[in-house]
Amino acid sequence: MHAYANPTRFLAIARPLTPWLLGLGLLLVLAGGLAGLALVPGDYKQGETARILYVHVPSAWLGMGGWTSLAIAGLVQLVWRHPLAGIAARAIAVPGMLFTALCLATGSIWGKPTWGTWWEWDGRMTSMLVLLFLYAGFIALTNGDDAQRQGGALSRGAAIYALVGAINIPIINRSVIWWNSLHQGPSITLGGSSIDGALLWPLGLTLAGFSLLFGAIVLMRMRRIIADNRVAARLRRLADEEE
Amino acid sequence: MAGVISGGDQWAYVAAAYGLTVALTAAVLWSSWRAMVRAEKRSHALRKDRR
Repeated sequence: MHAYANPTRFLAIARPLTPWLLGLGLLLVLAGGLAGLALVPGDYKQGETARILYVHVPSAWLGMGGWTSLAIAGLVQLVWRHPLAGIAARAIAVPGMLFTALCLATGSIWGKPTWGTWWEWDGRMTSMLVLLFLYAGFIALTNGDDAQRQGGALSRGAAIYALVGAINIPIINRSVIWWNSLHQGPSITLGGSSIDGALLWPLGLTLAGFSLLFGAIVLMRMRRIIADNRVAARLRRLADEEE
Repeated sequence: MAGVISGGDQWAYVAAAYGLTVALTAAVLWSSWRAMVRAEKRSHALRKDRR
């Protein structure tokens, strides 16, 4: 892991990897989305609205997975002071917030015809909303600080915030078990799935596709931060030479 | 069957969910791509000037 903490080595991998993640991700999302809309049958009870599953579930997993990665990056920054860990955490925040917002919005759109309401303050929805606010707080914390915005590394406070926020991830995961909720219980567990195979396979495609797109966005944002850092460093060096 | 959701407006909810997902994901992809390309161009241009 330490070998790839060097931005030059990282870029040698990230540059060719970005278009592959992007292309393959778009292809899988397109295939899964079309299959979810046209090939699989509607649910016997929920009808056509069950097709929202193919965009809602990947959004939920990536919103939660995004913060888990962000917290790991925060820990790596705190303990090993990897130069890339802080850059990765900052690059994850925006796509993580995007997919959390999409999870809430598509869940709300699904909730109206299914439950008869756009929103309910139950454990799952409220803890997911807290995750959205955590992302917003992290982005404000890192973008509002010039040293972090220009240097890439996270402040100690931002890294600790990322770690403390991770407490919300198991709460989101267990919320439908701990509290009486409008939201259904876990459909996919390590033990299997309660969703019929005929409806399940496009979810694998959209889940893989959106994950690859998430990876592509993170790589693009990391490359942008590294390029900005290099420009800032060169300008500083030029200014020093002129003096 | 009791409790079955039916009616023609079901597809409107599906279209709204898919449309929102496509629009927001495309917006973040596009802005990330454009920002990366601009930043890397600036960085390469500055390196060329130095040579």
